[in-house]
Amino acid sequence: MMPMFLALTEMRRAKVRFGLLAGAVGLLVFLILFQQALLSGLVNQFIGAIKNQSGQVLVFNEQARRNLDGSIILAPQQAAIAEVEGVEASAPLGQATFTVTAVVNDNDKEIDAVLFGYVIGQPGAPTSLIEGRLVEAADEAVASEKDRDAGFDIGDVVTVEPDGARITIVGVARDINYSVQPVLFVDFDTFEAAKRTRNPDAEAILPSVIAIKVATGSSAAEVAQRINEQVDGVEALTRQEAVDGSPGVSSVRTSFTVILGLFYLVVPLVTGLFFLIVTFQKASALTLLRAIGAPARSLVWSLLVQVVIVMTVGSLIAFGLYSVAIQGVSNLGVRVEVMPAVVTSLVVLALALLTSMVAVRRVLRLDPLLATTGAGVAL
Amino acid sequence: MATVVLSFLATLLLFLGGLLDGLYLGSTGAIRAQRGDVIVFSNGARDSFLRSRITAEVRAAVQSAEGVDDVGGLGFVLLGAQVPTKTELADVTVAGYELPPKGVPQPPKDNQGTADSSLKDQGVGFGDTILVGPAESPITIIGFVDDTNFLQQGAVWVNLPTWRAVQNANRPDSAVADDVVQTLVVKGTGSGGRTLSEVVDTATADATSTLTIDDAVLALPGVKQQGQTFDQIIYSTFVVVLAVVGLFFSLLTIERIGLYGVLKAVGASTSRLFAGVVMQAVIVATIAFLAGSLLAIGAAMALPAKVPLQLIPSRFIFTFAGLLLAAVLGSAISLRRVTRVDPASAIGNAS
Repeated sequence: MMPMFLALTEMRRAKVRFGLLAGAVGLLVFLILFQQALLSGLVNQFIGAIKNQSGQVLVFNEQARRNLDGSIILAPQQAAIAEVEGVEASAPLGQATFTVTAVVNDNDKEIDAVLFGYVIGQPGAPTSLIEGRLVEAADEAVASEKDRDAGFDIGDVVTVEPDGARITIVGVARDINYSVQPVLFVDFDTFEAAKRTRNPDAEAILPSVIAIKVATGSSAAEVAQRINEQVDGVEALTRQEAVDGSPGVSSVRTSFTVILGLFYLVVPLVTGLFFLIVTFQKASALTLLRAIGAPARSLVWSLLVQVVIVMTVGSLIAFGLYSVAIQGVSNLGVRVEVMPAVVTSLVVLALALLTSMVAVRRVLRLDPLLATTGAGVAL
Repeated sequence: MATVVLSFLATLLLFLGGLLDGLYLGSTGAIRAQRGDVIVFSNGARDSFLRSRITAEVRAAVQSAEGVDDVGGLGFVLLGAQVPTKTELADVTVAGYELPPKGVPQPPKDNQGTADSSLKDQGVGFGDTILVGPAESPITIIGFVDDTNFLQQGAVWVNLPTWRAVQNANRPDSAVADDVVQTLVVKGTGSGGRTLSEVVDTATADATSTLTIDDAVLALPGVKQQGQTFDQIIYSTFVVVLAVVGLFFSLLTIERIGLYGVLKAVGASTSRLFAGVVMQAVIVATIAFLAGSLLAIGAAMALPAKVPLQLIPSRFIFTFAGLLLAAVLGSAISLRRVTRVDPASAIGNAS
């Protein structure tokens, strides 16, 4: 009871100090939560379409450096890939960005959309369908769940500009965006027609990559290796390798890891330093308490209770700010999730308790005898 | 210890700003270097260079518009390139032009190009012939220019026929006819009270969408959103700095109440005492900035080249100014306590 009384009484008497600390912790934890959400949202929005398509292996042009936008597969390469042992099925998968007109609240609106063209019934189809059906004919599409309100819901019709195909949405799938833009999975003929609409001078419409279904008894990694050994000018990657190697993804991950690491370092440092200074300042009072019989354990508990309260209040402030801020990046498909926030709060609490051990050590070293000599303040 | 915390925060601010600058500069150099007044996109391309397509008829309409002084074609294609003696491919943007951007000479002969100096890091040297794309289109490097990258890829500036040849050979789906370009760079003044953009779009009967250079930069994919997101994080971090400085100076002031009481008793004014507090905050911020800068520079050197981190002088100046401001404002939180110091009671408490 005494530790709690001591902790709360002191906090009540120094509202500004503890309030400032809780505010600073709140802001720091908020920045951690926000950036974690941003990272996961960005990565999903960059490569969701690759992650959630059925090709177990994707074969890029070697020159493309794992970039769908820069990759084309020539017909002889496509034929050679199909012959590699362990390839059960291989089919073209095309990707390009188009201007499309969608209807939003009865108004036409031009927006960018990425078309993924695959051969119906072959590898490359979306795998995270949550409503409707897959494409069965030309001028049909599966769109991303996130873009439903942007004119990409089931039954909506979008037009490829200028004056191109009118594509009807027949299904929606989860997390299939690409380059943070809406995606339409269409059949390859629709994709080809869209490319010719955009550029009448086009000489040939080649697939961006070849999507592969691996035969039973072979692994995706083995098949990718065989293709790389046997087919000139291509780079075969398993689906996960294609996701991890996508341009931007690894650099975004590295950058955010450094930033988050620094934030995780700053939170416990601020907390630990605060409690150390406060402990120094009240050394004489603590020495007196020890002299009149207060056990050291009670004083330590009082300190730790304050750490927990400050971190809890800070985490609550952070969660409030995070819930509001996340609305501003809803275009990344990020949602307010409680569990990651709780885990982050617990991690920073653990780190703060760890750095508070310096202050705890100071409390444990107090000599009650000094209270009788007046030397207890000489710190 | 407070200086250590602020140093980490200064590193964070420089790192965040460096990433923002790296992303911005590496994506937009080729557009910022343009000497024209506006850039003309085809209508329907949604201001995307790679999707825009300007035909000869549209170009003629632009050239004949009143207030238009000069017109040049511009086009980009993003490809991998084989560099002599290197096994790793270089990421290049082959940029075809007619009006030379800043630092770029007049269009060279066919199959020659001026490379962005960032490509030197990928092994490209003067006189090298790089082989671009799956078709291995050769381009010989005849010079270098700074800060002209496009979408994080090193630009190689070539004449328009070479750009068309490279694009048609390597991206048959994006092939263009001999008189087609992606966009036009236009110099001029506008006419009859209308801006140059309005004059151009009127002359083409709205077959075009014309943007100033600044707007064309912001229209590049992700540039605006990146800027907004990073700015929010940077300014939030400054608020954290302010709170941390406020916190520590409020603690320090409490510790020194007795000392301030004595100083007041011997005639020191509140303003003088507060000036001392502010001076300390400035010194702490300066030391933290210097330590944080060293940490950030070290981190930049240790990170892989693919991380688009660029630490530029203006970012250091901005961060230092921001830290100083946050430190001064943070230290001002203890002003109330310094003002309220009563010499008599303070001395009494201290003794």
